[in-house]
Formats: sequence, C-alpha cells, structure tokens
Amino acid sequence: MSMIDDVRRVIADTLNLSEDKIDENSSSETIDAWDSLAQVNLMMAIEQTFDLELEVEDFMKLNSVSAIAGFIEANS
Amino acid sequence: MSPKKSAKLVEELTSVAHRRQIAERPDRWFAGLSVRDAQVLTRHLESLGDAGLPLRLGVIHTYTSDLLDPWLKLHATVQGLDLQTYHAPYGLNLLEAQTGSGLEQHAPDITLFMLQREDLHPDLARPVSGLPADRKDRLKQEIVERLSQVLSQFRRTVGGLMLVSLLPSVQGACLGQLDRHSERSENAWWHGLREQIAAHLRDHLDATILLDEEQLINQVGRDHFFDRRYWYASRFPFTPLAANEFARVIVGFGVLLKRPKAKVIVLDADNTLWGGIIGEDGLHGIGLGQDYPGNAFVDFQRRLLDFQQRGFVLALCSKNNPDDLQEVLDKHPHQVLRDEHFVARRVNWEPKPANIRALAQELNLGLDSFIFVDDSDHECAMVRQELPQVEVIQTPKNAVAVPTCLEQLARLEILSLTDEDLKKTQMYTQERQRRELRDSLDGQGEDITGYLRSLDMKMSIQLNPVAHVARLSQLSQKTNQFNLTTRRYDEQQVADFIGSPDWTVASFSLADVFGDSGIVGLMLVRHSPDDAESVAIDTLLMSCRVIGRRAESAFLYAVLNRLAEIGIKRVSAEYLPTAKNKLVEQFFDDHAFSDTGDKRYVCELGDAQREALQALPIDVTLE
Repeated sequence: MSMIDDVRRVIADTLNLSEDKIDENSSSETIDAWDSLAQVNLMMAIEQTFDLELEVEDFMKLNSVSAIAGFIEANS
Repeated sequence: MSPKKSAKLVEELTSVAHRRQIAERPDRWFAGLSVRDAQVLTRHLESLGDAGLPLRLGVIHTYTSDLLDPWLKLHATVQGLDLQTYHAPYGLNLLEAQTGSGLEQHAPDITLFMLQREDLHPDLARPVSGLPADRKDRLKQEIVERLSQVLSQFRRTVGGLMLVSLLPSVQGACLGQLDRHSERSENAWWHGLREQIAAHLRDHLDATILLDEEQLINQVGRDHFFDRRYWYASRFPFTPLAANEFARVIVGFGVLLKRPKAKVIVLDADNTLWGGIIGEDGLHGIGLGQDYPGNAFVDFQRRLLDFQQRGFVLALCSKNNPDDLQEVLDKHPHQVLRDEHFVARRVNWEPKPANIRALAQELNLGLDSFIFVDDSDHECAMVRQELPQVEVIQTPKNAVAVPTCLEQLARLEILSLTDEDLKKTQMYTQERQRRELRDSLDGQGEDITGYLRSLDMKMSIQLNPVAHVARLSQLSQKTNQFNLTTRRYDEQQVADFIGSPDWTVASFSLADVFGDSGIVGLMLVRHSPDDAESVAIDTLLMSCRVIGRRAESAFLYAVLNRLAEIGIKRVSAEYLPTAKNKLVEQFFDDHAFSDTGDKRYVCELGDAQREALQALPIDVTLE
C-alpha cells in the first residue's frame, strides 16, 4: 500500500495536482493533466525518485498508478 | 545527485522563507534536482509571493520545447520573475514572423530559437567532412544567408531579445579521435560556421545573440547532456540536468533584461580574497599561493579579472588596518589584484552598510548596481537587512567552492560588450584623479570654474551615430540617475530612431587631460509630424561618470543650436520622476526652459543658447 502512496505523491508533485485527486485506480485515461508531455516528465520523475532506469518500451506501459507501482516493486 | 540528496536539498530549500536566500546561494544547488523536486520547490517559491516582474518568453522550435517548462518556471520563480511562455507550433515557420501571429501577439521580451543543425541546410543531413574545400566554404555562406533571412523576418515583427540556439550533434565527432587533428575536421568546420553566424548577427541584426550550447555541453558533459531515450521517443534531447542548466541560462537573460544592471563587485578581503586574516596570520601566513587552500583564492582573484573584462568594476570593503591590507596588495607575491584593479575602497572599522553607501556616493552609482561578497554571516545579514537593494553573496566556508561562488549569478552575465566596458576601471581611476585635482585646487582657493578650465575639456558630439547603437541602447537601459524620462530602448529601437527622418539622435563623448570618457550621453529628439518648426526631447540622459563637469549643459545647448540651424524654433521637453532621478528634477528649469505645469516645458530657440554654450569651459565639435 505504501508503494501506491509513494507513486501517488510523485504523480501529484510532478503534475501539479492535489494528492487526493489521485487514487490507486488513476491512470492517464482518468486524469486530464496526464497527457503525453506529462508522461515524459513523469517518467523522468519516477527514474529520479526511485533511482531506476526505464526503457523506451516501458514508457508507454507505465500509464497508471498500479502499473508504475508494480514496475517499481518488481525492479528495485 | 542521488534521489535522497535531491529530496533532502528540497526539504532544506522549502524551509527557507526568503526567495533571495535561495537565489543568492553561492553553489549550483539546482544541478541534479529531480523534475518532481523542481515542481515542489517552484510551488514553495510561488507561495512566498515574491514573483513580481513579468517575463514573456516566446519559443520557436524544431524539437520538443514544452518539456523545458518546469525548469524555466523554477528558475524564473527563483529570480522573482513571473514567466509567461508561448511555444509556437513545431517548426521553423515563417508564419510566426508575420504580424498577428501567436508569437507577435505574445509580445515576448525574449524569443528563443531552438534549432537543430539539419534545419540550417539540407546538405547537413550527410557528413560535411568529405566535401571539397570550396563547397564547404560555400555551404557556410549559404547557411549564414538562409539563417539571416529567416531571423530578419522575425526581427521585423518581434521586439526584445532574440536568442538563437543550435542543438549540438547527439553523436560525437565525425572523424573520431583524429577529428581535431585532421584538416577535414568536421568540428573545426562547425566551429568556423558558428563564428561566422555570430559575426553576422553582431553586424546585421540588433539584439540577436547566438547561444553557445557547446559551452553547456562542456559544463555538464555530453553523456549527461543528451538522453537518447527521450530524444528518440519524444524529440526531447535533454537530461533533467541539461534541461535545468539550459533553462537557467535562458532565464538569466531575462534577469539581465528585467532587473537593475549590476556594475560593481564589492569585495571583503580576509577569507574572501585570501584564506585567513592578515591582521593575525601576517603577510606570509595568509592562504594565497600555489598550494591548497591558497591556490583556490588565487583562482578566485583571477576569475574576478574576467568579470572586469565584462565591464564590472571591483571595489574593496573590509575591516582591516589599511597598512596591513596595503602590504598584501603591494608585496604578496601571489596577490593577483593590485591597487589599479580597485576603483574605490573602504578599509576601516565602520559598519559595512555605511561603507557601501559611501562607495555608492563616491562612484555616483545606485546601490542596486552593487554586488557584495563577504564570508561573514554577520556582515552578510547586516547588509541584506539594511541595504536590500544590494545583492549579497556569502563566500563559501570551503575554499574549494570559493573560485566558482559568483558563477551562477545571472547579473554578472552581459548582453553586449562595448569599448567603454573594457576601459571602465581606468575611467573610474581617472575620475579619482580629477577629484584629487579639484580638492588640491580647492585648497589653493581656486573655485570650481578654475578647476573645470584646468581640465581642458573637449566634447565630441555625434549625430545619428549608427556605429554606436549597442552602446546607446546600453546607456538607455542602464542610466537611472541622470535621466530625464527613463525611457528604455533596445538596440532595435535605437537603430530605428537613427534610421528615421522623424528623429534626431545625438550622443557625445568627453575628453580631458586625464582621458576620454567614451560615449556617455544620449539625446533623442522627436520631430513634430505637423509642425516643421517644433521638436520634443524624448530622452536626455548622461552617464554619472561625467557628472559635475557641465557636460550636460554643453551637450544640450550644442544640440539645440544645431536644431536651430536646421530651422527649429520651439522645443518641448518633460521631466518624468522616478525613484532615482531626483538629481535632474530642476534640469530644464536651470537651462531656461519654461515650466508649463506638471514638469512639462517649452523653450524658444535663439541667441540665448548660443551664448550659454560659449560661456562653458568645454570645447565642442559636432560630427
């Protein structure tokens, strides 16, 4: 649960949103500000915050809170 | 910077309650900040409510530019600027250069061109190295012409500063390790091209600067500059580190446009120019020399000479016995800065705010043109408290960090460099000699006229001086005290006035027995569209460097006489008060203009001005 919260916080900070606007089911589909530009900023923020390297192929897949949290748990 | 460090730094910075304390940190704290932490810090800075000055940025780009936004916003809020950015549609599109375009409507202070090498010429899609020599030269010329045509179109519609950046190649040198050595070197060709572009912009386009992104690459390193994943996936070339640095540089130009110009670096001595305390450690005990930590201070002094080359002057403000300090300046074998490098000094035990005020008065400069550098918490806090106009940089405790402690200061960058800038230190020294002469004549019972006659002054006035556009724009941007209307004009506008039959532009330089001032005065006269015998003085200003020698009167009368010769009978003028130009409140009253109320004036031209000019102790020639 705490990984989900960490991810929610990173997304909120990076996209300039209030944390309560983002829950574990949020994704680029449900959040207007999460567009393709925001996605690039978000990928950079995820890499920098969790100290990991993403591949271009991962960028497209990591478009929801649960996908990002799952990826981080599997790769760190 | 590791995620932990970045988060810890931001935690520290978000607890700082004053924006200036972040802006004036002497380290490159932002290098390595994560995009998330940048956003968090930006919001903190915005919450401090100190972002007063608007800065309007327009971006013309052939690769992704919007991803710079968080970094641009961060640096703007750090600098107290309220940034509004317009990103044009993708491409080097001339539609944006037309009246009514999004760019023109945005009315940018800065237009940034983010171009790739391939945009310059289709032939650049393949290696240049193997082309015949004459083709290579022709290619350069074709590129300069193409780029010049495009930029001229933009120059016609947008005002402000234009910054042209060329993204360096994502790949290394064409010929690998031999590239530097080979006569077919592609890097050398690019280097030559950039020089040609810069020279062309200098000569033909006003307020248009070629940004050196190679310098950025050198700063952060090629491997840390490009992120190929984002480049190939999203056409965004920069790592967060590079984006941050690039944004800092762009916003830095905004600072130069929007904040008061810095002119003087006031330096403490102990633990700033050398390690240790001269009064305690003695001439051979202070840290200054070839070994650590003395070598760091030698480097810092050497760097201060670079700032002098940019046109800033150095002054000393230290609590020392004057003799102790003089001994270092005269005798220390590793001391770089000597007597001649300082235009003024206050070496005593008085409080520093009072000393800085005295320096401002002596140099005839506003306090907001001062940057104060001192290692002491107490002195820095006191100057910040009592002289909020002064930018305060605290010398780092760690000697290794001292040589670079002024590097991130946007106000120590420059937009142009004129002959006057290079001679500035010399000119202030001459001014000191004049003061000494005046004081000695005063001691002999001579009055001010005797002193002025002894200077043997010669004024040279230039009419519509195309060659001095950069200097005249600089004067219009920088002059605060002796400025009747304080209207700011960029190079483009000054050039337009000079080229227009509706305006008369005059400038002057003043020489005397001690030296030549360079161009120090500007007058802009607007001719009336419906009355061929009337003009209005739009701008009249003079550098404080020549104050107190009646130059302003000679300049005014000589220009009025010239106007009378071409049939002008009536001159109107006005005084627009600002926080700084009280000095000239009575200027027109003192020169026989009649006040028509509300500090608006008129003057009928005739013999009075000719006679007044003849009575002045200055020999005037009009070019």
